[in-house]
This record gives sequence, C-alpha cells and structure tokens, in this order.
Amino acid sequence: MELKEEGARTGDGPAAEVPPLRRIVVESETVPIRVGDYAGPPDPEYGKEPWQLAAGLDGEPTWIEERMRTEGLSIAYGDKRAVKDVSIEVNSGEVLALIGPSGCGKTTLLRSLNRLVELTPAAKRTGRIILDDQDVDSFDVTHLRSRVGMLFQQPNPFPMSIFDNVAYGLRERGSKKPRRRQLEPIVVDALERAGLWDEVSSNLNHPALALSGGQQQRLCIARSLAVSPEVLLLDEPCSALDPISTGIIEETIVELRSEVAIVIVTHNLQQAARIADRVAFMYLGDMVESGPAGQVFGAPREARTQEYVGGGFG
Amino acid sequence: MEAATLTEAPARATLGRDRTDRRVELLLGALASTILLLIAGMILFVLIKALPSFTHNGLAWFGAGGSVDDQLMNIFNSPADPADYVYKLRAWPLLYATALITGVAVFVSVVFSVLSGIFIVEFAPDRLRRVIEPVVKLLAAVPSVIYGLIGILVVVPWVADHLISEDRKASVAYVIQLDGTSILVGIFILTIMICPIMIAIIVDALRSVPEKWVEGAAALGVNRWRAMRTVSLRAIRPAIVAALVLATARALGEAIMLSMVAGSVGFAPNPLDGITFLFEPARPLASTIVDNSEGLSVVPFGQTMYAFAAILLISSAFLSFAGWAARKSFSRYTLGAR
Repeated sequence: MELKEEGARTGDGPAAEVPPLRRIVVESETVPIRVGDYAGPPDPEYGKEPWQLAAGLDGEPTWIEERMRTEGLSIAYGDKRAVKDVSIEVNSGEVLALIGPSGCGKTTLLRSLNRLVELTPAAKRTGRIILDDQDVDSFDVTHLRSRVGMLFQQPNPFPMSIFDNVAYGLRERGSKKPRRRQLEPIVVDALERAGLWDEVSSNLNHPALALSGGQQQRLCIARSLAVSPEVLLLDEPCSALDPISTGIIEETIVELRSEVAIVIVTHNLQQAARIADRVAFMYLGDMVESGPAGQVFGAPREARTQEYVGGGFG
Repeated sequence: MEAATLTEAPARATLGRDRTDRRVELLLGALASTILLLIAGMILFVLIKALPSFTHNGLAWFGAGGSVDDQLMNIFNSPADPADYVYKLRAWPLLYATALITGVAVFVSVVFSVLSGIFIVEFAPDRLRRVIEPVVKLLAAVPSVIYGLIGILVVVPWVADHLISEDRKASVAYVIQLDGTSILVGIFILTIMICPIMIAIIVDALRSVPEKWVEGAAALGVNRWRAMRTVSLRAIRPAIVAALVLATARALGEAIMLSMVAGSVGFAPNPLDGITFLFEPARPLASTIVDNSEGLSVVPFGQTMYAFAAILLISSAFLSFAGWAARKSFSRYTLGAR
C-alpha cells in the first residue's frame, strides 16, 4: 500500500512541482528594449493583411502567409519530454522569435522543424508538422531540409572556398553536377542577399575559414539561401558574434523576412524585441504564450511570461 | 613600496623561465641536429658505396636484360682482383616487383582503410566499435615475421593446392615453378599488414572532424553517406596522405615477410600471362638485400646491395616530400580548424 502511494507521488512529481521562474536575463536598466506601438489585444485580422510588426528596426511591411505549422508536437529524449504539445504556425513575411530560459525546449522545437532532431538517437516525436499543407513525414527528409534551411549557433562553413561553400547545397542536390558557370549567378545572388557580396566579391576562391566570425555566419546564411528555402531556422545565430556583426546579421534577417519565413531562437530578449514580429515564450517544454512582439513584451497575458520578460523592463 | 615589489617579482620570474627555456632549447636543438647529421651521413655513405654499381652500368642499371639472379651470382663470384670486378646488372625485375607489390597493396589498403574507417566512426554499433578499435591498434604492432610465418605455413600451401591447377603449373613449368609463393600472396599479406596503421590514422582523423560540419551538411539536405564523402573525407585528406606515406614506407621496406611468401625469385611477372600472372613469383629490392646478406663481404656484391639500398632511400625521401607537398595543398582550406 505504501509502496503504491510512493510510486504515484513520484509519477506526478515533476508536473506538480514546477520550479519557480528566475529572472536571469537582462537586469540592466540602461539598455531599454524598444517595442512597437502595439496596444490592445491581438488583431483578429492578423495573418490576412499586410502587417507591419517589426518593432526595433525599420522593416518593410510584408504580406503574411502561413508556411509551416505544428499540431500537438511533442518531443522526448528517452523519458525526458523536451517539447510538450506545441502548436504554432510559422509565416512568411515575419520573424518568429522563440524565447525562454535555457533548456526550455526551444532549440529542440526548432530542430524538429527540419527533422534534424532525428539525428539524436533517443529523440521521439509525436504530433504533426505541416509544410504548405503537407505533412513533413510524407517528404523525403532531404527534400524537406532543402526547403527548410538552418543556421547554427557556431558559424560552420565547410573547409572549402567561399564559392564552393555557397554552391555546396546546389551541387549535392541533383545527381548531375552543375557547371561553375551555371552556379555563379545563384551564388552571387545568395551572397548579395546575405549582405556579404561586397566583402568577398574579389576573393571567392579564398578559404571560407579565413573569414571573420560574422562573415562566416553570413556565408552560412548565403549557403542556406542558395538552395532557395521557404523557411529559415536560426539557432541563436549571433551568440558567438560581437555586437557589430550581430547588428549586421540582424539587419540581414529583417531584410530577408519578406521572402523567407524566419524562426529564430534567442536568449537575448533585446534581440527578440529588435527583430521579431511575433514572439513565442517557452518554459519547461510548454509553449506558454505566443503573439505579436509588442503584446508579448508590452502586455503579456500569462504571469510566467510577465515574470520572464519583466526582467528586461526593470 | 607595494607597487615596486609587484613590478619586480614577475620580471625575475620571467628571467628565470627564459634561462631554463634557453637551456632546454639548446639541448633539444643539439639532439635534433645530431639526428639530422646522422641521417645525412647515412645517405651520403650509402650513395658513395653504391656509386660503382651505377657508374659501371649507367642507365642500363634500371633496364631489363637477362636473368637478374644469374647476374647477381656472377657479381658474387667476381675475381679477387679489383680490376676484374664484375658489376653487370639489369635490375628491372627487382624494381618492377617493388613497385608492383607496394603499389597494388597500398592502393587496395587505402580504399579498404577509408571504407572501414567510415564504418567504424559512422555506422558501427557501439559494442562492435569497442572491440574493433583496440584490435586494429594491436594488429598495427604485430611484427612482420609473424605475418610471414602464417603466410608461408597457411596461405601459400592453400593457394598452391586450391587456386593453381596442375594444368596451369605444367603450362609454365619450363620457365618458372608455381609453388604458391607468388605476388598474389605477397600483396594479400602486405595489404593485411599495412591496413591497421592506416585505419588507425583515418579513424582518429574522422573523429576530429567537427560535428558542426556534418550537421551543417545534414541541414542542407545531404544524407549521411554523401556528407561523409563531400565534407568529412575532404577535410581529412591531409591525414589520408599521412597514412599513405607511412604505409608506403612500411611496404617499401618490407623484406622478411615478402622474401618468405612472394617467391624470392628475380622474375618479372608478366600481366599478359592472364590469371597465371597472379601466381608468378617476384622479389622486391628489400627482400633481395635480406636474402643476400651473407655475401656482403664480396666487395662488388656489397656495392650492388648498397645500390639497392640507395634506390629505397631515394624513393622514401621522394615519398616524404611528395606527401608533404600534398598535405600542404590539401590543408589550404582546412587552416588549422581541426
């Protein structure tokens, strides 16, 4: 009898005793977060009209259209559930920022969108991920990943020339290797969109690893763009970079959002406020709240969100 | 007061460390120079000793003509008078055997080692990996004479009994005896001998390829095998070259095992003989030196052996240089990232 009770208690334990939130992010009062002039509840027309939400930077108004969504998505590593029943949509024309404390499952969620999480042997997924009205499980994973590009925390250009890095995805896509002459316009265009062309135009054959960290990260953006993805996943792309490189990358992201749906995981609330149109706050695997950036930062509905972003407002 | 001690103390410490550094530097420098001098002296000595054999034969030394074993016998039986020393030698069968056996064995090993390296690092289940890796490292250290013994006691009789038909033996009986000792067995055992060291080097190199490169390729929609080929294998090309140089050096210098299983006959196997070619015997340079070591006191014979040694030395020097150049050009894009 006693044993049973004990078992029952431990089984319910983790769900019952949620550890208290701690304010770990941005205690500084000297760097205020700028958010848009959002006031009031989320617009019911949101998603149907061209909508200007980008707050900090002067992004162009964009047309918002759903690209991807998850339905009841859960991911577990063995017994540990990292993402719990998350449903969220990813739209082209906007930047979606996933925020939350370390270990809250936001990177796992991001990595599941291109099924990269499956590289981890113990990972198990339930729920659906839909890209343009098709379940991603119905595509070849190779095809999915060329439509959903990804950028990592550490810049990871390959040990090749700058040109070969950008052309890599194109060359590996088909069975027939395209000629350099055919690839060149695509490579140049990708480098231009990533804002790197002016710096590397004269030395495309130089080793990519000789570039600076920020340049390497923009090269990785160009490498993803070259295969013309519809969605771009960014996993804390600026965490290894200095403020100036970070600024350049943020500008690039805001410019790109009119053509590609962008999801960015960030620890940096100010960054989220600067570039995100929509923000989703995750805590212990749960999607606590998501909505327009101005609302999540300015008038959060949930107490946990309030507490987390509150640190940034002093 | 406090400031003064603070500035002085580190200065003294640096000075002390510098003096120790300088001493160690000198000591190590002296050691390195001694080794370099010894090597240079050895090369010079071998070349000088080898010179008469080369000057008497000219470029014909490298050519074919007559039986090389008969020529070696004549040199061994030279008259005692230095004026009548016999030097005539056409070393082609030995050079050809060295290049053939080394080349084929190294080529097969590279392909096999790269594939097994990929298997061990990427695809092997953990339990298998934990067994394979130590075994491979152990095999790399087995003395070659053991391979030779197994070769002559097990492989050679098996080949003679099961692979070479009586008809085939009879068809070439007037030229050469097919008794199982053959280039086939030589290449087979040499391949087994040099694979472990290559696999060990390639596995270590593949392990050190940053995970983020493989992940980056995967995120671009490239499958595991293709990412391996286009990113990881490209990145470890310098290590593959290093493994190649080491293995080739070992194969070039392999004497005992090959003299046991490859026939030890100064014969140039002819690929035009079809399948029979594989069962024909041969003897590379290093084995020739070992097999004839008892005759070194005969001056022209000793000089001829030095000529073989000189060829081996020059080949390995060239090999090292080519390896260095290849590694350098391959490392251009890697930069020290690994």
